[in-house]
Amino acid sequence: MKIVIDGIETAASPGEMLLEVARRLGVRIPTLCYHEAFGGQGVCRLCLVEVTAGEVSRLVASCTYPVTGEIEVRTTTPEIERIRRHIIMLLHRRAPGSEFIQELYREYGCQENVPAPDPDERCIMCRLCVNACEAVGACAITAVDRGTDKRIDTPYGEASPDCIGCCACAEVCPTKAIGVSRAAGHYTIWNREFELERCAGCGRPFTSRPCQERIARLSGQELSGAQLCPECRKKQAGSRVALSMIP
Amino acid sequence: MAIEPQQAAAQRPMEQIVRRYPPEQRYLLAIMQDLQKEFNYLPREALGLTAAHVRVPLGKVYSMATFYKAFSLTPRGRVSLRACDGTACHIKRSQVIIDELRKCLGIQPGETTADGEFSLETVNCLGACAIAPVLVANHKVHAKVTAAAVREIIKSYGGRVDEPVGN
Amino acid sequence: MSQLATENTSNGRTILVCCGTGCQASGSLEVLASLRGLLAGEAGTAVRASTKSTGCNGLCEKGPLVKILPDDITYCQVAAEDVPDIVDGLRDGTPVQRLLYRDPVTRQRYRSHRETSFYKKQHKIALRNIGEIDPGDIRDYLDRGGYRALRTALSMTPAQVIGEVLASGLRGRGGGGFPTGRKWQSCAAADNAPRYVICNGDEGDPGAFMDRSIMEGDPHTVLEGMIICAHAVGASSGFIYVRDEYDLAVVNLHQAIRDARAAGFLGDRILGSDLSFDIEIVRGGGAFVCGEETALIASIEGHPGEPRDKYVFPAVKGLWGRPTVINNVETWANVPVIIDGGAAGFAEIGTAGSKGTKVFSLVGKVVSTGLVEVPMGATLREIVFDIGGGVPRGRSFKAVQTGGPSGGCIPGSLLDLAVDFDSLAAAGSMMGSGGLIVMDDRTCMVEVARYYVNFLAGESCGKCTPCREGISLLLETLTGITGGRGSIADLDLLESLSATVRAASLCALGRTAPNPVLSTLKYFRDEYLAHICDHRCPAGVCRELTEFYIDAGLCTGCGLCRRKCPAEAVSGEKKQPHAIDAARCIRCGECINNCRFQAVRIR
Repeated sequence: MKIVIDGIETAASPGEMLLEVARRLGVRIPTLCYHEAFGGQGVCRLCLVEVTAGEVSRLVASCTYPVTGEIEVRTTTPEIERIRRHIIMLLHRRAPGSEFIQELYREYGCQENVPAPDPDERCIMCRLCVNACEAVGACAITAVDRGTDKRIDTPYGEASPDCIGCCACAEVCPTKAIGVSRAAGHYTIWNREFELERCAGCGRPFTSRPCQERIARLSGQELSGAQLCPECRKKQAGSRVALSMIP
Repeated sequence: MAIEPQQAAAQRPMEQIVRRYPPEQRYLLAIMQDLQKEFNYLPREALGLTAAHVRVPLGKVYSMATFYKAFSLTPRGRVSLRACDGTACHIKRSQVIIDELRKCLGIQPGETTADGEFSLETVNCLGACAIAPVLVANHKVHAKVTAAAVREIIKSYGGRVDEPVGN
Repeated sequence: MSQLATENTSNGRTILVCCGTGCQASGSLEVLASLRGLLAGEAGTAVRASTKSTGCNGLCEKGPLVKILPDDITYCQVAAEDVPDIVDGLRDGTPVQRLLYRDPVTRQRYRSHRETSFYKKQHKIALRNIGEIDPGDIRDYLDRGGYRALRTALSMTPAQVIGEVLASGLRGRGGGGFPTGRKWQSCAAADNAPRYVICNGDEGDPGAFMDRSIMEGDPHTVLEGMIICAHAVGASSGFIYVRDEYDLAVVNLHQAIRDARAAGFLGDRILGSDLSFDIEIVRGGGAFVCGEETALIASIEGHPGEPRDKYVFPAVKGLWGRPTVINNVETWANVPVIIDGGAAGFAEIGTAGSKGTKVFSLVGKVVSTGLVEVPMGATLREIVFDIGGGVPRGRSFKAVQTGGPSGGCIPGSLLDLAVDFDSLAAAGSMMGSGGLIVMDDRTCMVEVARYYVNFLAGESCGKCTPCREGISLLLETLTGITGGRGSIADLDLLESLSATVRAASLCALGRTAPNPVLSTLKYFRDEYLAHICDHRCPAGVCRELTEFYIDAGLCTGCGLCRRKCPAEAVSGEKKQPHAIDAARCIRCGECINNCRFQAVRIR
């Protein structure tokens, strides 16, 4: 079906998320809680756009709005700009410790000078980490509590036996809010300490045993004794290809 | 975690409660409510058993346990005192009742006295607005409560209350 | 119990003892036991009376209530000790004067509650059976025409039933007022069976208790409404989601479901038709946000009650992704009446856009508190003053708050507003579930706004940024103002931030959260300014900004305030003007609330 985004006409299949249609068209809509791997969550509300169907206009979160009919979309209006500025201001108040958010605060021209309850906080509750943790099948971290006290944590705030130390949560976090502390041969994430396994090729430490086991299980393989780091695996694959090309 | 003999004994009634329900996620809330009712809180082992029974990760169960107000992760007192701070009670000065409870019991809302006798909570609305302000002690609704009545209610449940000596 | 209770009603008297939550709190179970004890003996044969426990009459403040039929006598605030007098009164045919209802307005005593100003202006549809029947006895419900509507509905096609509900103009009584028939229509039209029917009994608005009263006092009407809907939309199972705090409602609903199954109103091939439908009860976990449809669905599925964007309605994609009708308790209670009496009769009641009646829980600073059912379009003045008897203790009316935390405060200048879904929204408030909280000059409107925002800070699910973070900042700002640390710039921030929270939040909880702030800013801005500029709280509520003093010219030296003061801050000789020591005063307001001569003043 035909839809118009910021004056540009395009085609969308029914049920397709509006944000994805816009991205395909090259129209930039800002997001914080969206990731291609997990789909829309409607959490950060930065991706609000104005949708007009017939006579009726309303604001919708483009990451969770499925296109079901002919609509006209405006991705910026003065109201939307104010809302985005407020959202960044609110997130800056919550997570003033994040450089990423500080940058956005400047970029959006926020001015409100509101004191922050916790100057070191960096988490903006986008929940990408929770999605990532679920995607690797661990579910070690979840949203805990509710209301203004809501936070991301492991059960009882303790080392979780479900955590495999894959660090996907820290990887996907836009504000570097999840700490991974490293020491010789060890690293700690979400209060759990993992021993670093060394690469059978280069000998560099690269990941934890539970993580290797999980990856092996997800890809339906048996975990054999020696593991290669991604770097060495690439090299190995490369040399295999090179060898196979030698006549 | 090693299971102490004591814990193993406590696990039996927990398992019985958990097994009352089919192993489906939709029964999580009901299982947790029954556990809460039986133990006055959700013991750690109970959360683990529940998670295993309905086959969801512990994190999900913990998320539920902290989201819903009906649940408590620490033991609640023998006598649960719930002071209503709904709108009708609030404008009829429920704050005075809550302050009196705090003073008499020496605890804040959400806490339990050191001897495990009383726990204090504020709740949003008990739907008894016409008889505000309301205090519920172990499911008994006390109507039109005053600071003096608070002291009597605590005494009637075996609590010791110092007589007011002014400021 | 119920069987014994109704055995000899045909030729004898029935004594109805209200056993709703409110009356139980005032000791109605003791009254009932004492009555039963006495009637079991010689007195029982003499007065030929049997007893019945009923659901909440809505006049909880005057409880325990005892009604005697067919004599049509209503007794208020009955204690177990009064029982012998009541029975004696029946022997010699003279009512016990001291227990009769005394109208707080006319000061007159009335034999029957029906004659009082509190009841006279009411029009009972949703509450029609409550207080008249034993909720534990299905025969009582059947005697009053119960399940007749179901038989009628089963003789109609599903489309005809939906047509009737559409024609009645019934709108959802739980909050936004969405047309009920349209919900049913889209559910019936959606493929992807099985379809579900849900009763939202997660009454969360603080200050509203009509749903509790209906579930406790007339559970079968809720079931009947749901079964009719199941026939109309083709649903196979239903759920009643009840607030965890409502113990008695859960007990009575369970009993009603068992009895309905036994009578063939639930289960396979209901009343010999093709409809097979059953209902189960889900106890809520204690979360206000679960009153929101999508959060409630998440909760039934076994998740934390977090809402999702409703770009596709639950009627199309609801519980487990299937088409689902969700209506609240009061809405369900209207359905059998519409089917039984016809849509046309129902649509005659009310206003152009809002048909039928609405139950309000009239509470707060009003003489007669309780449940009030009036036709849509009744004015606030009629409800608060004619029915409720106005503000007690000679204080003056300031505002009425409607719609719970999602609603707003309506000032005295709008007392003649005809109340319906649309007029309340236009005034910056909303119907919500029908809480109606009266506020007098001793209520601080800034503190009221802070109270609601604080409530929502704890009850927001915390999922989306504008609601979670916006409410947090609104609360901090309001707390600053009530604590004497406000600035004029705060008012701008409150206004612009409220606009964002309203426009950008994910669900209705967040979108309506700013209403208490915006409505008080609109109608009571002077109170905000008094807090900020003059550092005083005109209502004498905000402790940091309040100083009480005694007007020596008005004080009679009665000493009541001295005795009531918990801080011993009042001093004075008998019959001499008293004085308050500001240094000792803890600003609890006991003195001003108790003074009968308006001598305690706020500086």
